[in-house]
Amino acid sequence: MSAVRFEGVTKRFGRTVALDDVTFDVAPGEVLVLLGLSGSGKSTLLRHVDGLHTPTGGRVHALGTDVGRARGGKLRDLRRRIGFVFQQFHLVGSLSVLENVCTGALGRLRGPRLGLLSYPRAVRVEALEHLERVGLAPQAFQRADTLSGGQQQRAAVARALMQRPEILLADEPVASLDPESSAQVMRLIREIAGERNLTVLCSLHQVELALSWADRIVGLRAGRVVLNEPAHTLDHGAATAIYGTGALAAAA
Amino acid sequence: MTVRTLARPRTGSVAGTLALLALLALAAWAFADLRINVATLADSASNAVDFAGRMFPLDFPPAGELLRLTGQTMSIVVCATLLSVVISVVLAVPAAGNTTPHRGARFTSRALIVAARAVPDVVLAIGFFRLFGFGATAGVLAMGLHSVGMVGKLYADSIEQIDEGPRAAVRAGGAAGGQELVAGVLPQVLPAFVATALHRLDINLRISVVLGFVGVDGLGYAIATSLRELDYRRGMALALVVLILCVLVELLSGAMRKALLRPGVTVPPPRRAGQISPQWTTSRIRKTGYAVLTAIIVLASIWGAGFSVTRFFGSLGDLGHTLGLFLPPEFIPGLLADLWTTVKIALAATLIGAVLAVPVGALAARNVAPSAARYFRLLIVCVRGIPELILAIVFVVITGLGPVAGALALGVGAVGLLGKLVADSLEEVDAGVEQALRATGASRWQVFFSATLPQAAPAFVAHVLYQLDTNIRSATLLGIVGAGGIGFQLLNASRVVEFGVVTAVLLLVFGTVLLVELLAVWLRRVVR
Repeated sequence: MSAVRFEGVTKRFGRTVALDDVTFDVAPGEVLVLLGLSGSGKSTLLRHVDGLHTPTGGRVHALGTDVGRARGGKLRDLRRRIGFVFQQFHLVGSLSVLENVCTGALGRLRGPRLGLLSYPRAVRVEALEHLERVGLAPQAFQRADTLSGGQQQRAAVARALMQRPEILLADEPVASLDPESSAQVMRLIREIAGERNLTVLCSLHQVELALSWADRIVGLRAGRVVLNEPAHTLDHGAATAIYGTGALAAAA
Repeated sequence: MTVRTLARPRTGSVAGTLALLALLALAAWAFADLRINVATLADSASNAVDFAGRMFPLDFPPAGELLRLTGQTMSIVVCATLLSVVISVVLAVPAAGNTTPHRGARFTSRALIVAARAVPDVVLAIGFFRLFGFGATAGVLAMGLHSVGMVGKLYADSIEQIDEGPRAAVRAGGAAGGQELVAGVLPQVLPAFVATALHRLDINLRISVVLGFVGVDGLGYAIATSLRELDYRRGMALALVVLILCVLVELLSGAMRKALLRPGVTVPPPRRAGQISPQWTTSRIRKTGYAVLTAIIVLASIWGAGFSVTRFFGSLGDLGHTLGLFLPPEFIPGLLADLWTTVKIALAATLIGAVLAVPVGALAARNVAPSAARYFRLLIVCVRGIPELILAIVFVVITGLGPVAGALALGVGAVGLLGKLVADSLEEVDAGVEQALRATGASRWQVFFSATLPQAAPAFVAHVLYQLDTNIRSATLLGIVGAGGIGFQLLNASRVVEFGVVTAVLLLVFGTVLLVELLAVWLRRVVR
């Protein structure tokens, strides 16, 4: 069975068609890149997997659940099993790094939590382990907004790990980072995916990075799937073709 | 061939300018009509000497009594602020557009917040005093409920200003509604919540003195009693105590704000592997210390206010009857004339305030007076620190009972708020324009009048109108201590148990404030 399945997914925002009849499957443990320009529908598609958007038409299945129909506790349980890494990190700047990582455990805890000490000891120990894995244990008690961009994104990865996810969604995880931090974060996600046998859906716009990193590449243009190939069978020219001639001219 | 003409000004802006000029003329007339002039002030100078004679030596009550009064005032003020914070948090979540569960809930909670602001605390205090009698309850409820108008609005605004990202991340992790609010929203708004609460504490301390005049226990009540008995030595001694208390509370709340809100940037790395709580650094000790101190003060205040739950609910049974006393409104003769006096006081005070605050504010702006700005900022802060009520009492004693005292007190007090707003809006102008002018060789005065002032002028208009609005409310309150106008009727009515008159005064003041607010909204739109 596939980990994620899109069946004729269409999404409209008012008159704008963001996604147009998107259909493909993602196998368990597969590392897939959504490639496309900004505005091509990558983020919108990712948000459907987590139920942050619901489709106007078609269905999204994740881990055997029809995401669009899941409500309340069922939807929260599904979200708990899916980690999400955002382009802008989305850490709470005024909280410590460790506390931010702990918020990843909220899905399996009951009740609101305020302050690091309100999390059970076991949760804090686990959070620290994840921070060690991403190389941020020394920064555990610093405020999140004192970290560099690359460090914040690694903390966000640790927060996603705290959910003990089966799927990891990453929306342009390195678009706001310098090249060195980018390479570090992408390597980290790839390693962790291997260690935990995670299914990964990651949106990117850099062709070179996608080719060297992914198992498979799905290209989107104006909300439509225009490419769906294993990465090793693709060359640079074929992948770049999804951007269309206009984009190529603009890039040149 | 086209004929070139000058652009014709829009009718709206012409009408706006005319309205502003009319307001200015009205204010000048009010100023003259109240006989605030050099001669009056010169006459008062002898009064002032006389006053000094009646005031000194200051006569402080015995230490035990002073401590009791201070404790009573502080516990009422702290409890009231706590009450307003609790109610405001409950109302702000549905009132904020991004956290509201439903449009109807949003409208209802916004309406409740506006209503809390609309009813003056003095009127609430008169009502609750009737219901609960002498003691802390009336003061706590009156100030607590009225404060929701400000605290609730600011809380809702700060919730609306959060970064939605972290909240979306927490939701994406499978958090439930309450968890999302506490983990994604609360940490972002907590600094603003704490700062607002501490700010309101300062304001409530000042207001508590006014409430003393309508029977709320504490320092204000003691001041009111001494002034009624013409015991100025005792009255001014207590006023000095209030002033010192205001300064102390402001210093403490300032220090707390700083400690709680400034990030401790340098956090040492964990001392050993596997350490899951941060170690005790100075900044963590200080923060925890303030948190414990706050908890102790709050608990002591609740204990000190001495609520009685049975009496509270017993009196609550009379709510219907008490409300009935306030209806129907009773428009006794002379009320409109007194309202007009209050408006005149407010207009004259705004004029005095503007004349004083614009130069002071300009000198306090860094880009206008680089070297003097610090001292003028300090002056503004000092003026803001003095409760208007204390100013009013001083002026009442110097110039006698009546509107002149009210206008002078509010006018001088306005420097605190208006001066700050003027300085801030001058500092916010586009520095590029100033530089461009300086680059042409313009002098400092030319830069000020051609680049700085024109950019800040629309903001000035808005600030002065805001000050007028504030002054009408304050002029009503100051009437209670004998500074002229409709407030005196309020005090009389509550003394002789004519609650219908209280409602009439409330309606009249409310109507006037609403009119001024509509005028201000219109003027802000057309004058740009």
